[in-house]
Amino acid sequence: MLIQQLSSKPKSNITTAITAHGVGMVFKSDSQKFQALADINLSIPKGDIQLLMGPSGSGKTTLISILAGLMTPTAGNIQLLGEEITSMSRKQLTQFRRHNIGFVFQGFNLFPALTAAENVEVSLNIKGIGGRKGKNEAQMLLAAVGLEDKGKMLPKNLSGGQKQRVAIARALAGDPQLIMADEPTAALDSQSGQAIVEILHQLAKKRGATVLIVTHDPRIVNVADSILYLEDGRLQPPKFTPTG
Amino acid sequence: MVSIARKNLLEDIPRFLVAQAGIMFAATLVTIQTGILNGFSRSTVLLIENSQADIWVSAAKMEHFEETEPLLMAQVEQATQVKGVKQAEPLILGLGKWQTKMGKLNSVRLVGFAIEGELFQPGNIVKGERTVLKKPYTVMADESRLTELMIKNIGDTAAVTSLPVTLGAIAQNSQSIVAPPFLFSSLENVNTYLNSGFTVELNCTMEEGGENLNCTKVYLKTPEKLATPPIKPLSLTDPITHILIKAEPGQDLTTLKQRLAAALPGTVANTTAEMAAKTSTYWKDRTGLGIILGLGAAVGIIVGMVVVSQILYASVSDHLKEFGTLKAMGASDLMIYGVVIEQSLWMAVMGYLPAMLICLGVSSWAATKGIIILITPGTGVGVFGIVVTMSIASGLLAIQKVTHVDPAIVFKA
Ligand SMILES: Nc1ncnc2c1ncn2[C@@H]1O[C@H](COP(=O)(O)OP(=O)(O)OP(=O)(O)O)[C@@H](O)[C@H]1O
Ligand SMILES: [Mg+2]
Repeated sequence: MLIQQLSSKPKSNITTAITAHGVGMVFKSDSQKFQALADINLSIPKGDIQLLMGPSGSGKTTLISILAGLMTPTAGNIQLLGEEITSMSRKQLTQFRRHNIGFVFQGFNLFPALTAAENVEVSLNIKGIGGRKGKNEAQMLLAAVGLEDKGKMLPKNLSGGQKQRVAIARALAGDPQLIMADEPTAALDSQSGQAIVEILHQLAKKRGATVLIVTHDPRIVNVADSILYLEDGRLQPPKFTPTG
Repeated sequence: MVSIARKNLLEDIPRFLVAQAGIMFAATLVTIQTGILNGFSRSTVLLIENSQADIWVSAAKMEHFEETEPLLMAQVEQATQVKGVKQAEPLILGLGKWQTKMGKLNSVRLVGFAIEGELFQPGNIVKGERTVLKKPYTVMADESRLTELMIKNIGDTAAVTSLPVTLGAIAQNSQSIVAPPFLFSSLENVNTYLNSGFTVELNCTMEEGGENLNCTKVYLKTPEKLATPPIKPLSLTDPITHILIKAEPGQDLTTLKQRLAAALPGTVANTTAEMAAKTSTYWKDRTGLGIILGLGAAVGIIVGMVVVSQILYASVSDHLKEFGTLKAMGASDLMIYGVVIEQSLWMAVMGYLPAMLICLGVSSWAATKGIIILITPGTGVGVFGIVVTMSIASGLLAIQKVTHVDPAIVFKA
């Protein structure tokens, strides 16, 4: 009920960044059908850091892909920043992602042939920020993640934690309101994982961005505003609510 | 803008070099084949194109420059009378036998022209002078055929059709690749050579063991003993081969051709361009050389396409996740295709440039051997077009793969 009320409000007053209503996902392969998600309803307030946890195979990646507009659900609908994305064309979705979503991946997904600065610059280029401005902004973003002196290095010469920091700088390019991160610390040792979480938390809060983090990592729980649990493709009632 | 395309290409240098070698090979093959074809067909029409004539009058049965029936010297005079003709000069072509001092025989094509005239230009004279050809029994040959004639320099002697011959001048860019060596001289000299009969001797010896009979046909007396009858001026009944016509300024060549044909029955009049086209077409079509060289060029293009698409496809496959990431981050299709196309264009350019250097090198080396590999700016532009098209076509194949990338792969480990 609450969800519908929210989505009917005018955009300027929207306080909810991500809303899902009755979302389901069925994977069909040849003769088999697999219900990966069922009846997902959620609403994530703007500026929140939202964790999505659950056992392996529970559908976390599937859900974040859908919420990020990378995958179309087989049921239900989604509003991002007050815009209905489930009915958007592929082209409109691409455009929406370009201007509103930053991504952080478990495997970093940096371009191995590009330097750290260029990796960030490409993301800025996509958002229409090029030339000198793009270069300067890339340098500023790298500085924001504490890598001001690593701009000229290739990813292969950076540590895992440094790579993920480059990826965060890239995700922040163009100041998106939404940041989607799937297991951002899974490939890192606990110390760098901790550092990544702190940077993500700090920068997101400073910019007022809404962050959705899929994770197994219990240490991230400290920075979260709230946590969703997924089991067998269904959201579970909260087991634990962090402070606030 | 960050050039992902260029950086991706240079990321794997060995693979890049293999690709470049492939494209270079393809471009070189196409250029050289085209160059040989152009050089070949150009060489068959060098003498026509170098001439200052507007119109060529030849026997009606003429097939091409060298294949025709005789006209008469008297017809040159008749041609001069035709309204609109400023100048008419005869050209005589005929076959002869060249015999070196060592007794080696070689067919030669005798070319007699009006030394004092202006219409016929036997290539660039690089040694000696045009006027020296007025001297009795003096000829000029093309530099590229001196070895074949077994002479080296001005003053060297041999015999043609039982008459003596002295090399008086050396030319460049005068020789058709498909013709026997041209010997340029005055109308009178050539006429004398063509009218002199030659004696034939057959000397046979038994090989040791008595198995084979070795025979040598000797067409001539030995050069030292050659008789040198005085050179006679041409009479009106002497046969000639073509009449070169210079029109009065402002003449319409089409109507002038008609007037010439009417005034000289049994002849055909062609403009210089038509004459050249007829001749080069004859050689290209009749000899099948055009097809052979065309096939070579086609093979080059196919090899190039296979190599480029192979490399591009592999490169795109290797970077599929990156393309997915670009898509997830909101890159437009245009930008993503742009990366692949830019990559293929880089490959095209980086393969083309060294190929041209190689071709120019090969062409100037071949020129010293008397083989024309004609690389015109047109060929250069054309081959670049082919290489770019070939690379983009390969790029489009690779793009198929990118189009089907699901941006959701970015979250798959
Ligand atoms: N494209 C697909 N086709 C068919 N089944 C799929 C597809 N993607 C995911 N699944 C299935 O959906 C279920 C959920 O997968 P998902 O990747 O979302 O799980 P997850 O919670 O992210 O797991 P993990 O913690 O291991 O990353 C799995 O059983 C998986 O096999
Ligand atoms: Mg997952």
